[in-house]
Amino acid sequence: MSQDPTVDSQSTEESRSRARRPRVLLHAVTAFLALVGLADATYLTIEHLTGQSVRCTLIAGCSEVLSSPYATMRGIPLALVGAAAYFTVFSLATLAAFGYRGAGPLLTAVVAIMFAVTLWLVYLQAFVIRAFCQYCLFSAAITILLTVITLIGWRRERRKL
Amino acid sequence: MKRFLPFIIIIVVLGAALGAGWYLKRKADVSATPSSPASLNNPVNSTSSVRTSSEPGAEPPHMHGSPDAPVKLEEFGDFECPPCALLHPILQTMEKQFSGRISITFREFPLVPNHQHALAAAQAAESAGLQGKFWEMHDLLYENQKTWHEAFDVRPIFEDYAKRIGLDVERYKRDLQSDIVAQRIFLDGKRGHALDVKGTPTLFLNGREVPFESLPADKLRVLINAELSGTHP
Repeated sequence: MSQDPTVDSQSTEESRSRARRPRVLLHAVTAFLALVGLADATYLTIEHLTGQSVRCTLIAGCSEVLSSPYATMRGIPLALVGAAAYFTVFSLATLAAFGYRGAGPLLTAVVAIMFAVTLWLVYLQAFVIRAFCQYCLFSAAITILLTVITLIGWRRERRKL
Repeated sequence: MKRFLPFIIIIVVLGAALGAGWYLKRKADVSATPSSPASLNNPVNSTSSVRTSSEPGAEPPHMHGSPDAPVKLEEFGDFECPPCALLHPILQTMEKQFSGRISITFREFPLVPNHQHALAAAQAAESAGLQGKFWEMHDLLYENQKTWHEAFDVRPIFEDYAKRIGLDVERYKRDLQSDIVAQRIFLDGKRGHALDVKGTPTLFLNGREVPFESLPADKLRVLINAELSGTHP
């Protein structure tokens, strides 16, 4: 019944790296999605600040949304807050992918907050402002995807325990 | 090296985001302000030349002020568009300040179907216009935009406005669906499309499009003064 310690440690090392690979992949996808969200939110912030889309056009409802009182929080454009959030998610996902232990749980917390805020913003567009801005909806879709990926990662972690 | 790699990636992304933001902001600023020295005397966006169109729009147009005024403003507006409602008091101020020297023309440009009540509002204004009260209805629609924009059915609200400005309400209701009202809105829209109007409010000052950024009262005043003093070629 004697075990070869080297074989054992090798196999655990292997299984550990095998277990890590999908997790790294999940974090990489999270980081990529966050980049797309960051680009969207950066564009929206500039639109908001320069007043470009404040004009009403045939296609977009962004003028209604961006000129509404809900588009700013104490003078700060909400799109800028969104850009900061996506940057945070990108940073945490990158750190987590490289194996920084604290980054994972923090990432889950940030995505959970973003999901809640997104639900609120979509509600505002649908029932209060009654206009949809496609850039805001795109951001909502990104956040929902981020939430789904976070949930998948979370379930995997739990199954392992 | 591997220890620092994530931080390097993060810093690169932060730099790229800030750089992209700065570039977009600069691009927007440049397009809004004249950049070449030759255009300094030309406060209206130098790229926007006088636009002429063979489409005259609805005749006669809804015009405030003298048709011979040296400064002619033409607004393409949508009564349900919030920035149009913001422009309304600005144009009223300009009219008071430059009384006798400017004329203001309103053109219907309802953004259907993006604005669900925009067409009904345009019809209400044109119908009031058939009884000589276009501007009274125009003012009420803009000033109460927030009230009726939220409503499910705007017809009773607009009828109430018609009553308030002293219209023959029965005739107003009949005219709403009339060909002449539909035709006026159609012709104004046709003129707008011919002049390459993409959104509202779009304001033309003696045929040149005023950049959206110049619509606040102080900036518009500068443009009108420049036009009156003849600094404009």
